[in-house]
Amino acid sequence: MSNFLFGRYLPGKSWVHQMSPQSKLMLSFYFVIVIFFANNVWTYASLSVLILIVVVMSGVSIGYFLKGIRPLIWLIIFTVLLQILFSSGGHVYWHFGPFSVSDTSLINGGYIFVRFLLIIMISTVLTLTTTPLAIADGVQTVLKPLKKVHFPVDTLALMLSIALRFVPTLMDEMETILNAQRSRGVDFGSGSLKHRIQAAVPLLVPLFTGAINHAENLSTAMEARGFTDSEHRSKYRVYRWQRKDTISWVAFLLVGVLVLFIRNN
Amino acid sequence: MDQEINFNQVTHTYQVNTPFAQDALDNVSVTIAPGSFTAIIGHTGSGKSTLVQHINALLKPTTGEIAVYGRTINPNTTNKNLKQLRKHVGMVFQFPEKQLFEETVIKDIMFGPKNYGVSEQDARRDAEDAMKLVGLDENLSEKSPFDLSGGQMRRVAIAGVLAMKPQILILDEPTAGLDPRGHKEIMDLAQELHDQQHMTIILVTHQMDDVVDYASDVIVMDQGKIVKHGNPQEIFSNPQWVYSMHLDLPSSAEFATRLVDEGVPLRHTPLTIEKLADEIAQLVQGGQEHE
Repeated sequence: MSNFLFGRYLPGKSWVHQMSPQSKLMLSFYFVIVIFFANNVWTYASLSVLILIVVVMSGVSIGYFLKGIRPLIWLIIFTVLLQILFSSGGHVYWHFGPFSVSDTSLINGGYIFVRFLLIIMISTVLTLTTTPLAIADGVQTVLKPLKKVHFPVDTLALMLSIALRFVPTLMDEMETILNAQRSRGVDFGSGSLKHRIQAAVPLLVPLFTGAINHAENLSTAMEARGFTDSEHRSKYRVYRWQRKDTISWVAFLLVGVLVLFIRNN
Repeated sequence: MDQEINFNQVTHTYQVNTPFAQDALDNVSVTIAPGSFTAIIGHTGSGKSTLVQHINALLKPTTGEIAVYGRTINPNTTNKNLKQLRKHVGMVFQFPEKQLFEETVIKDIMFGPKNYGVSEQDARRDAEDAMKLVGLDENLSEKSPFDLSGGQMRRVAIAGVLAMKPQILILDEPTAGLDPRGHKEIMDLAQELHDQQHMTIILVTHQMDDVVDYASDVIVMDQGKIVKHGNPQEIFSNPQWVYSMHLDLPSSAEFATRLVDEGVPLRHTPLTIEKLADEIAQLVQGGQEHE
């Protein structure tokens, strides 16, 4: 668990760290869409160059990124293998029953691999350089238009920021309960499936009761501090659009246009 | 069976090989004698909890090794066959009431023994003994642990550990958040287990008064290192050093140093309130003789 880099924040002062969270969120979303327009070597190459520049500008070493990808590598390999073995067309090198390997399937497999890599890279950059609370604020800003259709954006943002705030607390609590029950002779993660499910009860029940206690205490404390509803509040953290955001968007849009232009050529 | 706990050049790094790596123990070597009542003190983040979690192999050393109860734990120790060790080393975590989960108090206390293969009947007997030991009334046994008060819940949790009949008992701030009466009861229980059942007690605490009232050995930790290991008298003999470790003196010693500062000639620094009373009594009697 502790080696899982995906979804964690690494403090820093780089260009990417200083961008406003809403523009980072939208940029990541936009980038993922652009990835699906890519369909040949040149488009993938230009997107890869772009992401490499972003990684360098985030000031996080490439090694950490590779570590972040490691837990997902089996999923990637599995998908790539399926793509290679089951797609048809092109010059067939080898086939056995329903399986076949051809030049197109190899190329498609390679593309899928790069696509996965790019998506994981951009989302890792986002989470490594943005605090969870900033992400929650970003989501609130991005979803603001939905207020027009009476979607409770502020409530959702509040829930999101509380949830994100309590992730590490609950993780710590889980760790302690896990250790306490281990000391009482529970073997987690061994034995038959039935045994494993039974072993989860001494972990889950205290975790849930703990969460309910947290919720009760937190709501009391919020009310005591004058919280009535989430809509009529002012904001302490304000993220302004900066020149860095504009420059980044221009760069990303240019690459997007480039991809649209050179696809199919 | 050799009950000595021996740390040999143990280091521990959390999240090793990541940007979040953090050294918690730095080349720790120490021996905790069987049957001792050892207090581990040090300011927050000095590595106390990390140290004690090595004793029953919840954490494994990054380098070095620990010999405990006939087992050696080194960085390559696997998670298999640790059960026997954990049966002998009872561990009461901070706020242990958080680990309760069963429908009834008695079932929760029986949980530990049953995990170690004790039969239903024997486990119930052990659980009832443990309830008596911690001073829980018999008629609570069929109640839900979640209906109890905070202090009672903590006793149920401690009983759950004692029901396994450990030879070594680790208490990580067992009295945090308790009222003065609950505090004294828990500490007296620890002393009783030590004196009558000859358990090795390891107490992690911030309460210096408990250290001098109960412990025979004291380990002082600072920044992942053991900076001093001795009896309470040795540890608290130098107030300046104690303050430099971000620790406090026991209240009697604190009061005595103030008396000395005001010009009252005390001969020793008393650590407990009884010793302080003796010192003052001697001084008063001594004064009378001069007249």
